[in-house]
Amino acid sequence: MNTTDPRIHQVLDGELSIDALPAELRHALESVSAAADLLVAPVPGPSLESRIMAEVRRPASSYLRRVASWLATPHAITFRVRPVWSLAFAAAAAAFTLFFARDAGPQLGEHEGIAQFVGRFPDARSVHVVGTFNDWRPGTIALEDLDHDGVWTATVVLPTGTYEYMFVVDGERWVPDHLADRLVADDFGRENSVVIVRPVHR
Amino acid sequence: MDVNGAPSDAEIVARVLGGDTEAFGFVIRRYEAGLLRFATRMLGSRDAAADAVAEGLVRAYRHLASCREPARLRTWLYRIVTNRCKSHLARRSVGDVPLDEAPPLADPADGEAALERAEQLALVQRALTGLSPDKREAFVLKHVEGLSYEEMAAITGERIPTLKMRVHRAREALLKVLEEET
Repeated sequence: MNTTDPRIHQVLDGELSIDALPAELRHALESVSAAADLLVAPVPGPSLESRIMAEVRRPASSYLRRVASWLATPHAITFRVRPVWSLAFAAAAAAFTLFFARDAGPQLGEHEGIAQFVGRFPDARSVHVVGTFNDWRPGTIALEDLDHDGVWTATVVLPTGTYEYMFVVDGERWVPDHLADRLVADDFGRENSVVIVRPVHR
Repeated sequence: MDVNGAPSDAEIVARVLGGDTEAFGFVIRRYEAGLLRFATRMLGSRDAAADAVAEGLVRAYRHLASCREPARLRTWLYRIVTNRCKSHLARRSVGDVPLDEAPPLADPADGEAALERAEQLALVQRALTGLSPDKREAFVLKHVEGLSYEEMAAITGERIPTLKMRVHRAREALLKVLEEET
């Protein structure tokens, strides 16, 4: 519902002189202007020039390399599926699991599940995952990049539950997993990723 | 060249396309601050904004030949960074959910006035991130970057009446939040 006098918009859009605005409407006008003035302030921080120029000076990769890079990079994919098809697919997957995959994989306890961690760190020498499941101790769970494509993975059996975690790259750089189910703020003003480990029923 | 002797946008574009990679530094120095402010207001986070701007400017360099109107380089750069911001928002699945990273607080040594200003900025930024991305984008382009509706239409690809409506609704939503909070 439009609750603001249209003359306020007209003044802010430069279509009406402020002199034509009654005094009782000027407070709203001043509030919007004051908010905008605050947001106009420059954002402090180091310049991005050296970072951008370093990337710009690097020779552009070939088309094939870019295609390979795109294929190896995680992308969000959205499917629009009719519920009846998704139910049919779920039933088929469940049937396959029951009949063909019954004895495959590790034996998990009733209150255990599998967490898979995946991150893309092309120039990393090592990647570990730390979180509430290992008391944030680096060096205990390592991710692997066996084919050296920059995509690091680890599959871990954990007790069922909800955990916060981050990746530790090269033993010093802590980065969240932006592809995680959720991100939550931690006590240090950063973000932790969240993984939910559900029980695997056999 | 302008009155201060600095090369025009069209001249810079021509130099970069002619092989003078270093001339792209002019583009960065000229537009970085505005783009970073725009992206920070859109994403609610300086770090995410820095990523979006850096990605956008590298992308602009790589595709500079497709900038059909070099004299309107600024509009073209805003369009690219706007798209990078939308991509970041989609990747983080924040949608209409307010972001949780507050603007940096002022140093207590800066004095009472600076602290109060920082608190007000935090309040306005929170109200801004409570808007839908479309309304936030329209408000920031209009009132923070000071663009005309014609320039906004060129950046967003939306019609001017649509953008006006978004700006009006953004103002109303912001006014409501600010009145509740103060």
